[in-house]
Amino acid sequence: MSLRTRIAVTFLLLLSAVLAAALAVVSAANRANAEREVNRQLDVGASVFSRLLESNRSLLTQAAQAVAADFGFREAVAVRDVPTLESALENAGDRVGAQLVVLTSLDGKVMAAYGSSAVVGSRFAAASGASAGADAPVRVIVDAGRVFQLVTVAVKSPLPVAWISMGFALDDRATRELASVTGLDVTLAYRGADGLRTVSSSLPARESGAAERVSRRIALSDLGGVEVTATLSRSLRAALAPFARLTEVLVFIAVFSVAAFAWAAFWLARTITRPVQALTQAVDRIRGGDYGAPLDVRRPDELGVLADGLQHMQAAVQNRDRSIRRLAYEDPLTSLMNRTAFAEQLAAALRDPAAPPMAVAMINLQRFQRINEHLGYSVGDAVLIRVAARLRAVPWIGSGVARLAADQFAAYAPLPPGTDPETWGRALLAAFSEPVVVENQPIDINTTVGLVVATSVPQGVPPSPDELLRCAELALVRARRDKRDLCLYGESLRPAARDQLSLLGELRRAVDGDELRLHYQPKIELATGRVAGAEVLLRWQHPTRGLLGPGAFVPFAEQTGFIRRITRWTLDRAVAQGAEWYRSGCALSLAVNISAEDLGDLGLLQRVAHSLSRHQLPPSLLTLEITESGFIDDPDRALKLLEGLAALGLNLSVDDFGTGYSSLSHLARMPVHEMKIDRSFVVGLQSQGEYAAVVRSAIDMGHSLGLKVVAEGIEDAASAAMLKSLGCDVAQGYFYAKPMAPDDFAQWLKGQIRIPVIAVPRNFNIDDVGDSMSLAVL
Amino acid sequence: MSVAQPIIVAVMLLTGAGLVRAADVTVSVTTRGGDSAENAVVVFDPLDAHPAPAHGTATIDQIHKQYVPRVTVLRTGTSVTFPNSDHIRHEVYSLSPAKTFNLKLYAASPPTDVLFDKPGLVVLGCNIHDSMVAFVLVVDSPYFAKVPATGTVVVKLPPGRYRLRVWHEKLATAVVTREVTVADAPTALPVTIDLDPNRDTVAAWPQA
Ligand SMILES: [Cu+2]
Repeated sequence: MSLRTRIAVTFLLLLSAVLAAALAVVSAANRANAEREVNRQLDVGASVFSRLLESNRSLLTQAAQAVAADFGFREAVAVRDVPTLESALENAGDRVGAQLVVLTSLDGKVMAAYGSSAVVGSRFAAASGASAGADAPVRVIVDAGRVFQLVTVAVKSPLPVAWISMGFALDDRATRELASVTGLDVTLAYRGADGLRTVSSSLPARESGAAERVSRRIALSDLGGVEVTATLSRSLRAALAPFARLTEVLVFIAVFSVAAFAWAAFWLARTITRPVQALTQAVDRIRGGDYGAPLDVRRPDELGVLADGLQHMQAAVQNRDRSIRRLAYEDPLTSLMNRTAFAEQLAAALRDPAAPPMAVAMINLQRFQRINEHLGYSVGDAVLIRVAARLRAVPWIGSGVARLAADQFAAYAPLPPGTDPETWGRALLAAFSEPVVVENQPIDINTTVGLVVATSVPQGVPPSPDELLRCAELALVRARRDKRDLCLYGESLRPAARDQLSLLGELRRAVDGDELRLHYQPKIELATGRVAGAEVLLRWQHPTRGLLGPGAFVPFAEQTGFIRRITRWTLDRAVAQGAEWYRSGCALSLAVNISAEDLGDLGLLQRVAHSLSRHQLPPSLLTLEITESGFIDDPDRALKLLEGLAALGLNLSVDDFGTGYSSLSHLARMPVHEMKIDRSFVVGLQSQGEYAAVVRSAIDMGHSLGLKVVAEGIEDAASAAMLKSLGCDVAQGYFYAKPMAPDDFAQWLKGQIRIPVIAVPRNFNIDDVGDSMSLAVL
Repeated sequence: MSVAQPIIVAVMLLTGAGLVRAADVTVSVTTRGGDSAENAVVVFDPLDAHPAPAHGTATIDQIHKQYVPRVTVLRTGTSVTFPNSDHIRHEVYSLSPAKTFNLKLYAASPPTDVLFDKPGLVVLGCNIHDSMVAFVLVVDSPYFAKVPATGTVVVKLPPGRYRLRVWHEKLATAVVTREVTVADAPTALPVTIDLDPNRDTVAAWPQA
């Protein structure tokens, strides 16, 4: 039930109840009044009735006395001739209007009768001395089914000689007269053999319905032993008649007021509920996210205030919604979409079946971190803003540009038919052919772009935005690895990509579940054959795939950045192991691989220092092998880190020497102690003559820089002999020993001669180790 | 009373003129309460003799709307004169079976006398004055008396057997009847009767 109906109905019911109660009370009062009035009338009427009969009796008595005193009549009585008497009685009766005349002797025997069923000679009970005269009470008699008011007087000659009784019929006419005088209805009845018999009545012959009457019964003194009653009554309806008009008026007023009230209640309810309805609809609309329509409720009352409040709330909600939307979907700096918004918009675009093939690009700014560090974050931000503007201007892009991370952007574009996706990729790169200008300062922007076309991704039709972004990122990674600025995702990337998807989760589990193992491969001093140390190599005891070498998961870990976590783990375990051996009297230098990715880890320095301190391993027993490519992206930064590490007293080694493009000038500036020639040179040493020349010059160069030169991947004696002849200092490989589990390695080590290492534990305060490079080795 | 006394004397003169012997019978009539029953009438009917009819006269006056005397005892065959001593007219009537007559309104002297020729009780009334009532007791016997205020009356009776009847207008019972034998000596005859002072009808006087 609606509010309006409820309000209206409630008040209507209340009003109706009040009116009904009032009517009931008035009706009851009216009825009580009427009954009281009727009873009062009956009291009066009964009294009047009695007096009427009394006065009738007086009149009748006088009439009878006049008859009795008539001399002629007395003469007739004296004669005692029955027929004469009867005629005399008839005459007397007619004279006074009596319908019944009985003459009785003084001893009560009927002498003659007229209009009566009395038999001459029988006793006539009604006549006696006591019933005679003006003082006698009112008497009635039933005779032949009729009721008479009877008066009896003596016939005197001059003393009483007989009684003459005269009866006046109480017939309908008489009762009507009584009724008209008393104002009541009069009914006379006597109790006959067959019950109460009505003799006469002023009532209509048939009263309509069972009219309610109030009545009063008066027992009349009966003379013949027959009970006679007069019933005075009054119709309650007649008595109520004056009140009926009043009730009618009341009912009219009630009906009118209910109608008026109904109208007023509905009107009032509507004026309340209509705006409430409007407000409700507005609230629904706002909840649905539609803040546009204004609230059209202008009222001076509380509802108007509520509407105003709602209006303000709507505006506030709208503002907040906008900003939340912005936060949720927009990069606050560049006002580009964020990853979520990009994914949603891309998904929508992909759902359009009529759309041309969709190309998705992931754009990475090279060395952006350096801009921040060298020129400040405000410049960096300005650069990003300008980059965003450039991207927006690229053909076919439209609004499909997002900033995914600090220096990472994404874009998608529907490619017109016949367009080569690489053309679009070139267009992206071309956007940055000119340097961006910040504060009048031109800044070169180098970007790498990974591209993917939706049709080349097999997963899903259409492929999910996440899938596309992942593929684009794979292409981007590939481009960076290949030192190219553009790479289009293709079949070749796919399997790896697929494996790697599950690999990341498994890797995480591997670290947490202690599935990673460290194996140790000895390094041999070529000149003497003594053990110079060991390289720590990572193995993954995969629950289904068995023991995996680092080649199966490290490249992927590097791409995803997960390598940092693995490296942390490896370092700590290796230090712990080295410290254990060191405490057991076997001081051995252990070499741990640090990937290029780890060099971006600002916490690496502290972690290494902390680990050494915790396990009490002398720093000189730890060597970090750093891939040459690690220096390329940001040589200055890498240099700072290496200097910090060197200051801790560690040994640093350049790994995979010969595969990168590191300049000798860089190498010369770095605080490294050794270099490892890439295994590809060693493998080709036997078959290809020119490799020997390269290895020789590398060794020479290392020596000229004061570095110890290490070769790895030695698998036969010939290679070992050649390297030895070339002047290489240390070698490692299957020819000497394969990587071994710690216990196996310890066992193996027992039969070997170690190069004695003077390793003095150095106490250093961990708090002094920051990113500072000035930490002195004591 | 002063009028009644000569009548009795006259009667006695008439009846006892030729008789040698007569006894005084003193009748005293009292009520049951011991009062003297004035205006009671005592009648002695001789059982062994048949008195001869008489022809006398009597007068009943009307003074101050009263018949005077109120009670009269007569022998059958007596004529009664109804003089009117009032200044208003009276209409004397009787509807009694023993004598029915009606003297139309008159003043002073009545048009005729009224002959009471049958024994019985005659109640006289005035047609215009209901309060006027007189009783005339007509008897065949010559031996009767009306009891004076003293309650005692002497009746001279020849010896013999009599039926005594005592009547009073307020008699509560039937007429008191007694058989008496009169010897040749004075005799006292006390009679007690019941009176009903409220009686408004005529005490019956049954025929012998
Ligand atoms: Cu008179």
